[in-house]
Amino acid sequence: MNHQEKSERDELRARFTGWLEVTLYRAKLNYVKKLERDKGIVYVDELPEELWASENPEKNWIQRITESEGFQFEEERLEKAFHTLSEQRQEILSMLFVEEQTPKEVAGRISCSLRHVYKQRSHALKQLRKMLEEGGEDNE
Amino acid sequence: MSKEEFRSILIGAVSGNHEDLEKILELYMPLIEKNSYLNGNRDEDLKQYLMIHIALQIGKFPI
Repeated sequence: MNHQEKSERDELRARFTGWLEVTLYRAKLNYVKKLERDKGIVYVDELPEELWASENPEKNWIQRITESEGFQFEEERLEKAFHTLSEQRQEILSMLFVEEQTPKEVAGRISCSLRHVYKQRSHALKQLRKMLEEGGEDNE
Repeated sequence: MSKEEFRSILIGAVSGNHEDLEKILELYMPLIEKNSYLNGNRDEDLKQYLMIHIALQIGKFPI
């Protein structure tokens, strides 16, 4: 009987401890994700005045960020190739590789399907590879 | 803590009793502390976040 009681006590406590460990782990992941998300937030009053004078402040701001904090290209030809990509593909690659967001997060941010993000990433990388290979041949 | 005590506290905490919730938090503080480190540094905000999270989620624990 004593043995049975002990095993019952252990079962409830062990079950709760296990549940709590999983709950805390998930909560910590959410907290870290939230921190990462908040890093990219720019509040309206932080935008420089000259941007408001332009026709499309949001686009200009994004351009400014990608210019200052975007890819640090080691090779000039890679930079050139990157800028020949469509704006959306550039944006997707920046979010995936510079901001290190998951494809799911990217899909949420640009309001499109996950499949679209994968497709655009794949096409963009193929396009870059092709252009670099062609450029390499030209250089030789 | 005996089986009955733990069970009673847990049932109280799950059903929304603040005192019992505090006892559970106290009992599991080492686990909360262990999870309150980010990149090797203790993060007080994270600790608060975890405690609030427990308080909000404990009602979902199936007894």
